[in-house]
Amino acid sequence: MRERDTTVEGTGRRASPRVRRERFKDFLCVAPALAFFAVFVYYPLVDLFRIGFTNWNLIRDEYKYVGLKNYKWLFKGSGLDTWLASLKVTFSYTFWEIVITLVGGILLAALFNREGRVFAAMRSIVFMPKYIAISTSAIVFMWILNDQYGFLNYVLGAFGVGPVAWLNSERTALTSVLILTGWRVVGYGMMIYLSAMKGISRDYYEAAELDGAGALKRFRHITLPLLSPTTLFLFVTTFIASMKVFQSIDVMTAGGPYESTNVMVYWIYDLAFVQFRVDRAAVVASVFFVILLAFTAATMKISNKSVHYDS
Amino acid sequence: MRIISRKRLAVAALLVGAALGANAQSAKQYEVTKPIKIEWWHALESQYAPLVERVVADFERQNPLIDVEAIYQGSYKDLNEKLIAAHAAGVTLPAVTVANTPYIAEYGASGVCEVLDPYIKATKFDLGDFGSGLKVASSYGGKQVSLPFLISTQIMFYNKDMAKAEKIKLPETWAEMDSFMQKASRVSGGVTERYATVIPGWDQWYFETFFLNNGIAIVNKDGETTDLGAPAAIAVASKLKQWCDSKYAYWAYGKDASSVMRQNFIEGKAFSVIHTTSLYNMYATNCDFEVGMHYLPGAKTRDSEIGGCVLLIPRKNSQEVKNAAWKLLSYLTGKDVNMLWARETGYMPTRNSVTRTSEGKAFLAEKPAFKAVFDNLDHINPRIQHTAYTALSKIWMQELAKVIIEGGDVAQAMRKASILIDEALQD
Repeated sequence: MRERDTTVEGTGRRASPRVRRERFKDFLCVAPALAFFAVFVYYPLVDLFRIGFTNWNLIRDEYKYVGLKNYKWLFKGSGLDTWLASLKVTFSYTFWEIVITLVGGILLAALFNREGRVFAAMRSIVFMPKYIAISTSAIVFMWILNDQYGFLNYVLGAFGVGPVAWLNSERTALTSVLILTGWRVVGYGMMIYLSAMKGISRDYYEAAELDGAGALKRFRHITLPLLSPTTLFLFVTTFIASMKVFQSIDVMTAGGPYESTNVMVYWIYDLAFVQFRVDRAAVVASVFFVILLAFTAATMKISNKSVHYDS
Repeated sequence: MRIISRKRLAVAALLVGAALGANAQSAKQYEVTKPIKIEWWHALESQYAPLVERVVADFERQNPLIDVEAIYQGSYKDLNEKLIAAHAAGVTLPAVTVANTPYIAEYGASGVCEVLDPYIKATKFDLGDFGSGLKVASSYGGKQVSLPFLISTQIMFYNKDMAKAEKIKLPETWAEMDSFMQKASRVSGGVTERYATVIPGWDQWYFETFFLNNGIAIVNKDGETTDLGAPAAIAVASKLKQWCDSKYAYWAYGKDASSVMRQNFIEGKAFSVIHTTSLYNMYATNCDFEVGMHYLPGAKTRDSEIGGCVLLIPRKNSQEVKNAAWKLLSYLTGKDVNMLWARETGYMPTRNSVTRTSEGKAFLAEKPAFKAVFDNLDHINPRIQHTAYTALSKIWMQELAKVIIEGGDVAQAMRKASILIDEALQD
């Protein structure tokens, strides 16, 4: 059995009882957090993988281990088409949410990066939707986007356009959900970029101005590179959050019409709680977890090479 | 001879005594002997809160040892999620809960519900007073796993004033639907001013009755195949699409389809809508015209199906809780309370002692539109029970809606649906 290392770091000498007591105290400080993670994160995660090898339906007490049967259903059976379609919808949603957050956020931040009450008020207005519960906003947007009684079609009708079945057509349903998403997230992107912009030293801009650089050049060669750590942060957090989108889909479309908004988390929910196939839901969730982990790790690795830190 | 008779009498008396004693003993084991607080989960929206409070208060007066907390848990779907999560965890279970009728097959098969037969026998609960269809709908595998509570069926609500003014004859048969669609709709220059009817495509329960009445087996006797890909089913689906393409009717689909459909009817943009009888009060209150109810047209048969919810006791509760739950369950499904639900909601009376007596007549005098339902009580059948029915209905709804709304070949869509459904049934 491997013995616990009780030496003083780097010296090879055995740590004194005082140092060991200190270490134990340190451990006690993090123990509650570790216990929390163990119970609420790691145990469910391990159990998720285990359930994927069973035929449990969540409500039956007994179940048996079925080996790779659920994985075969996903990769070779009737689950494959839905899985691929769901992956496509999820990545498509994520791509557009990232674009809206990053591009919309940075443009609004550049626009509102000024002092004064009017700009402060405008910043608040743009950021405000983030504070409103998704379910509440989703219900309001359902009314706005309703094809027969909706406000948007009423406005479009005044210009001789429409009516458009925003939420009820497979061509427009995902776009409709993205309208709500954009309205909610763009202010968040703006605020994060704004705080990062405030942190960029004025010296760079003054030096560039002396060298004759215009506003666009200063933005391109100073602001954008120095915002890259913020962009990376926003990219990774938005990527993870948008891949897990659920609430707006649940309220506005329930994955429809015809599965055109059937994002991965909604499909997992549907399998577990509507179709009572928690075994299959566990497999889809496990594979999805691995995909998310791989993408995040790859993003971090690639981005580390192109992120500029103002040190 | 005389001595033998006395002996026989004595033995008979002993047997009767023993039987009575045993019954009293078994009834006693379901008694509530000390104060207990229980939860009742329901899906009755806020407009019914005063009624729920009244019923619970009355029950508590009659059963001073039992304190009931009635909790609104959202829609049937929301309630199902919470119930199965609580069941899987084995804690925070309600003593009594409602459940939408299609869930009973899976709940029954998975042992979510307490089997009620011993309680019914021991307390001499009058189960026979429910119609046979209702008993089947609330049981699984021959065991009574729930009791009928708020029961409804599919119906066509129509604008009675409009029907009188324009002499619109309501369809009695599937064959009469074509002429009804033309007569009741107003289509001008390719734009619909008024739909003859709106068909709810968001829930297959509403349109499956058209297929069933045309003799199509949605789940065959083998339990593993469907006839939805057969020519007869394709013919029904084609007819539905034809009416929608002609703009006589529209296929209500999507998350807000139900509210849009109601609004269309209330505003007179639709002559009729196919919906559940439970919404009679809602329509009658909100429409500024007289609302009629018409039993759906028939073909080979003219049947409809049971909808609404049943009441059950989750099996994983302690016996103490189950005993209190049984008291509440028998109270809530009792004749008097049932009439209260029927009067103040749009649900139907469920007991024969109401529907087939003077009380039924009094109810009809109050709500004459329900005659369409009362005249067809013997034709209201239990829903199809299959553990894969949720999967089946999702596939069917999607494929049918897609071909009707977005266009395409009906035969191809129905055959595709049928292949996917067969897979789901066999899975």
